Amino acid sequence: MTQIALSNLGKKFGSFTALAQMNLTIGDGEFVALLGPSGCGKSTTMNMIAGMVDPTEGDIRFDDRSILDVPMSRRGVGFVFQNYAIFTHMSVRENLAYGLRAQGVSASERNRRVNAMADLLQLTPMLDRRAAGLSVNILQRLAIGRSAVVEPAIFLLDEPLSNVDAAFRSVMRSELKALQRQFSQTLVYVTHDQLEAMTMADRIAVMDHGKLLQVGTPLEIYNNPQDVFVARFIGSPGMNILEGTIASSDEGKLVDLASAGRSAPLALSDRAASQGLPEKVLFGFRPEQVNPDPNGTMALPVNFVERIGARTILHLGGDGLEAKAVLDNQIAMPSIGDVLRFSIDPKMVRLFDPVSGIAIGGDI
Amino acid sequence: MNGVSVKEADIAVLPQDNAGSEEKRLGFWLTLPAQCLVLFIAVFPILMQLYISMTDWSPLDGIPWYRAYELWIGFINYTDLASDSRFWAAMWRTFLVMIVCVPIQFLLGLGLAVLFVDEFPGKRWFYSTLLIPMMVVPAVAGYMFFLLFQSGGPVNDLLSLFSASPVKIAWLSDPSLALVAVMAADIWQWTPLMFLILLAGMISVPQDQQMAAVLLGASWGRRFFTIVLPRMKTIIIIALAIRTIEIFKIFDTLYIMTGGGPGVATETISVYIYKVTQQDLIWGYVAAIALAILIVLSVISAIAISRMSKGANAR
Repeated sequence: MTQIALSNLGKKFGSFTALAQMNLTIGDGEFVALLGPSGCGKSTTMNMIAGMVDPTEGDIRFDDRSILDVPMSRRGVGFVFQNYAIFTHMSVRENLAYGLRAQGVSASERNRRVNAMADLLQLTPMLDRRAAGLSVNILQRLAIGRSAVVEPAIFLLDEPLSNVDAAFRSVMRSELKALQRQFSQTLVYVTHDQLEAMTMADRIAVMDHGKLLQVGTPLEIYNNPQDVFVARFIGSPGMNILEGTIASSDEGKLVDLASAGRSAPLALSDRAASQGLPEKVLFGFRPEQVNPDPNGTMALPVNFVERIGARTILHLGGDGLEAKAVLDNQIAMPSIGDVLRFSIDPKMVRLFDPVSGIAIGGDI
Repeated sequence: MNGVSVKEADIAVLPQDNAGSEEKRLGFWLTLPAQCLVLFIAVFPILMQLYISMTDWSPLDGIPWYRAYELWIGFINYTDLASDSRFWAAMWRTFLVMIVCVPIQFLLGLGLAVLFVDEFPGKRWFYSTLLIPMMVVPAVAGYMFFLLFQSGGPVNDLLSLFSASPVKIAWLSDPSLALVAVMAADIWQWTPLMFLILLAGMISVPQDQQMAAVLLGASWGRRFFTIVLPRMKTIIIIALAIRTIEIFKIFDTLYIMTGGGPGVATETISVYIYKVTQQDLIWGYVAAIALAILIVLSVISAIAISRMSKGANAR
């Protein structure tokens, strides 16, 4: 049961900055996902927590004790590798017992704990089989069991589901979540798959280009992205971002989107109103919020229709304004070349600064 | 109708069991001439040896080798061999060189591999330097060690320096020390090969498995003996087998250093064969010796291969 605190953590490889100014506190027993595209620094962060990589800046603390000079064999960190790193020249039992043996646990105690762990993970039938040639789902459970049996305070998982096929992934998602509840350990989970992060994590830390962009619960991240990257990265498809100009009308301020029309009057938060708006803004809305409406103030031509079963994705665009709309199949679907007239609920509009990319006024 | 015809077409295309075995038989006949040729090239010298070894033939007899049956003596060469004390002494000496040199080369090579598997400043330079002995022509190496072990040579000078009194050991002419000098030359020349093979094996041990072991609390020694060495098993067997077989072939270095002497003190099996061939010219007997060694080496290889396939199964 350990709290992890990363303060001003940074890592440079020569002149390349893999991670900079990372500040994140992961609570006791919390499940945090580090989410971002390849090369965003999430694995570097994880490897530094485990001790495989030394940071060039900042500090890592477990329960307020700096662990930078603790060698990785003493950090008490359970690590599940992307390809599981199972010792294939040993049996399943030897794999499970490895950590206990290394820590000098007595034979009887070792047996008891290995058997208990095998029971929990349904590995008992293959305890004496060689680990080579076991299926991926068994290897995965074995990798988790091998780390869990030494009862580490912290669990780190490095994209553990990326080698698993799609059907099995959804099974493993719920299984992993259940296991974490059972072990109730602090768990850091690295992934580039937002679905995994959204479904399992208590909090998500979105990263890009070595920077931590936003930390929050999955819903916070989805509803109130603090930055254009997060807005576009989260959601499938991601948030639409259109360039626009602030204009005034009788009912209040609105966004002029050139050939796409005008937004409804904005529902500005007190903070955004007091801050004042820049002249140019990025106008953001979720594809799911596109509301076909013959009297809508916005309109874009349909370029492409993508049917994905229960829903249909419309690719809209023209004159440098690209957007997507996700519609239920129940409604009459426009065809390619039609102009879709729609409205967006003002409460669902998110504005971003076009220069910094940061959300304006936080929650609107 | 359409659907039916498509199905029939599919069935026609599918290779049937009969057609499959027929294809195999055809392939057998087509490749037979080439296979015979390969087999002939591989087996002919051995069969010829076997034939000659049953005769008392020598090139001085004035009859071509294929008429050697005129001098047929059956297994007499082999019974002679069994009671040839010089042959058995040469075998024993070869074996001695093997059980001294191969383990030392292995341990030195393994130690160096452990040092070189991690990065350190100047690694490339040291690495290239270490491989030089392997590239020296064995005859040249023989000459180098011949000079080193002279009674007034650098080895004695070095020993004098440490013992603070002049050392004048006649390494190469002392029957009990000459073999030591020969072994030293072999270890010098062939440790780099062992190192190279073992380093390649060590580098290929998956890094994440080693990391996983350390994260589970394993010490350096535990990681080395439970992860690194077991995973190197196949490559270790290959390295040991290569060196063991090569020891039987020791010739050039040794011949230049001692010529097999003093007396027969450093006469290994290859030197003995050379002497019997070139000096005594009894080729039937040489053929018998060669076959005997071939059998010994085949047994060693067979053991190594069976060990290796066991190792491969474990993976």
